[in-house]
Amino acid sequence: MAYYESDGNAGRRVRPGAWPVIPRVFARRYLFSKDHKTIGLQYLGLALLCVFLGMAMSLLLRVHMAWPNAGGGLLGSMMRGLGDSPERYAALMLLHGSLMVFFVLTAAPQAGFGNYLLPLQIGASEMAFPGLNLAALWMTVVSAAAMTGAFFVAPVIGVKLWVASVAIFSLAALLGAINFCVTTIDLRAKGMTLPRLPVTVWAWFINAILSLLIFSIVLAACALLLADGFLGTQFFRGAFGASPAANWQRLFWFFAQAEVYVAMLPCFGMITHLLAMGARRPVWRERAVVLALCAVGLLGFCIWGQHMFATGMDPGKPLLFGVLAASLGLPASCLLASWFGTLWNGRMRLETSSLFVLGFISLFLTGGFSGIILARHDIYSLRGGNDFVSGHYHLVMGVTATFAILAAVYFWFPRLFERRLNEGLGKLHFWLTFAGVYCVFMPMHWMGLLERGRAGAELAYVGGGHAGGWSLFISGAALVTVAAQAIFLVNLVGGLWRGERVYVCNPWRVTTLEWMPATPVAERQNGASAASAAVVVHRGAYEFDESGNMDDYIPQYISPERVASQHASKMR
Amino acid sequence: MPGTTIEQEIEIIVEDTGGGGGKPPARDGGGDDGGGKRRRPWNPSPRRYYTGVTLGILSILMFFMALASAFIVRRGSSSNDWMPVHIPAILWLNTAVLLFSSLTLELARKRLASADLSGFRRLWTVTTFLGLLFLTGQILAWRQLIGQGIFVATNPGSSFFYVFTGLHGLHLLGGVGALMYVALRNFERAKLTRQVAAEIVGHYWHFMDALWVFLLALLYLGK
Repeated sequence: MAYYESDGNAGRRVRPGAWPVIPRVFARRYLFSKDHKTIGLQYLGLALLCVFLGMAMSLLLRVHMAWPNAGGGLLGSMMRGLGDSPERYAALMLLHGSLMVFFVLTAAPQAGFGNYLLPLQIGASEMAFPGLNLAALWMTVVSAAAMTGAFFVAPVIGVKLWVASVAIFSLAALLGAINFCVTTIDLRAKGMTLPRLPVTVWAWFINAILSLLIFSIVLAACALLLADGFLGTQFFRGAFGASPAANWQRLFWFFAQAEVYVAMLPCFGMITHLLAMGARRPVWRERAVVLALCAVGLLGFCIWGQHMFATGMDPGKPLLFGVLAASLGLPASCLLASWFGTLWNGRMRLETSSLFVLGFISLFLTGGFSGIILARHDIYSLRGGNDFVSGHYHLVMGVTATFAILAAVYFWFPRLFERRLNEGLGKLHFWLTFAGVYCVFMPMHWMGLLERGRAGAELAYVGGGHAGGWSLFISGAALVTVAAQAIFLVNLVGGLWRGERVYVCNPWRVTTLEWMPATPVAERQNGASAASAAVVVHRGAYEFDESGNMDDYIPQYISPERVASQHASKMR
Repeated sequence: MPGTTIEQEIEIIVEDTGGGGGKPPARDGGGDDGGGKRRRPWNPSPRRYYTGVTLGILSILMFFMALASAFIVRRGSSSNDWMPVHIPAILWLNTAVLLFSSLTLELARKRLASADLSGFRRLWTVTTFLGLLFLTGQILAWRQLIGQGIFVATNPGSSFFYVFTGLHGLHLLGGVGALMYVALRNFERAKLTRQVAAEIVGHYWHFMDALWVFLLALLYLGK
């Protein structure tokens, strides 16, 4: 193709007018592009930045718990930089939590992958409102910056700034949710009926509806909290009055509860999709899976929303976390049944993305089972559900969702950048992370160290007395796990820079529209540009032939006539 | 003209590179990030505006329902610090103005349907004016309360009064902006017709109208 030459030409053409042109082209194509693919990548970039920041913070917290008196060296000086008080410790914890929950777990699966892939998977050329999409992106970025800034200013202003940035984030999420819903409802390609939608699209769509409802409530709560903070009203008595450390935590958990479902739904969708693609089998009981996803959304809204209405959105009255987790039980077991049904007799291709999918399922099972046991034990024996939250929340929500995101990265990387990630490094990354995560969270669960996890920042801060061998082991395992992420970073940079190029359009040989090849050049020259040749969908999203031939899949865009003719030519 | 040449150059560059760092032959709608879109005629159905505004209305409704629940719960849980706000009489007048504006809006749309553009413009302007009149009336009501020494932070009852009227006013201001947009925009080359735009704005306006009646009833009955 002519792209190599055109690339060179472009370089030569820019030079004459270089100064004014380059920044402007850059701004238009990258900073303020309304293209859904660029925006999706920008969300993913933001998530990547936040995940590494958040991980560094958690490491700092963990190191502090194991070696509270680490005075010397770089770490010690960083500790002192925190201000060295329980309040700062709580604030750092909040910053870690909010970056991870809002900008990684919520933004990456939905806004990142969703923006990039949803229009492609339904055969639309753009989101419904590209301008709105761009606005939402920049509001999210502003919100991330403000949240980080809230950590560095005085706590009195910091809390307000934090609430304001949650409000901005919610507004951005609302705009994004409207965009997703309208795109799915109105912009589907011809023939893309609802039953033919890939499960990923279903998940993004249901999640968008859920976000629409939930983030409106969060926004209202933020509005009242801000009125309390700035206008001196008393909607929530004492919301800003208690000790700052307790206040940070209370506010955070109040908002983070809403995110459980919003973060998990798209992950469920992606996992179901990738599992079918990896196992080369249709999703087992696809319709039940879609219904289960709907149930997750419905339960999420009913339980969280009902609680908010019943307490008048008082952040002082956090919902018992166990109730939220338990409500996931039924639809989650439906999903698990479908995953095992898909795996049954399947010949799973063990690429890195599939490994992460299996890792997700394993962690989800362990987390779910231990959750049931621990929920009963902890909620009754500790004060309130909140203490039980930290460890379990990390395992079930944080780590599993991260596994889903990583699986998606490995799977869609060739589509995003037309290059491959290194499989060897990817597998090393998977095994180290998988083992590390179990080493960190299993002892935490069984030793009951969890109790200390969030039993109040003061306790954790003084935690030196408890630091036994296991705590050292956990901290060491956490260090190894975080270090393993460096492999991912190396792989990512290496893949972007000089990863193996992918010249085929559909390297994983799967069925959905985002892997559709271009219209043949001849057709394009005949006036029918690639775009105006409209996409027509002929079949469901998971049509695999289980006989195990080379052509064991039929993509959605292949017409029955083409299948018949191919079949005929094979017979001959 | 150097300026224009640069513009043209940009166009060419964007067309040519078509894929950021250079990519293998792109698939349909795929790798060509910036350039491909420019070439592509993008004309999704105007139905997306209906759907979008309907969903927007849904989320605004959710937002105010959440506030209403906060009002009800706060009212029920406070024993001594709640003082009822005496609703200023001007609010009833405002309500009448807003209800009347919904009527004129519908009449304007009828004129538009029968291709009477000047009649449409007249009635549409009246609607916009009534909307602004309502907002002015709300500000007058605030001034009356302030004159009586009732401020935002005086007690929870007054806080809710100011927050409800203020947030509703803000949303209505957006509606006034939309009315002006429909009146002033040149629809000849737009993706949607004036009829469709007027209908969508009409939906939003009637919703704001109903929402105000609900909030007023809440404030009146719940004091």
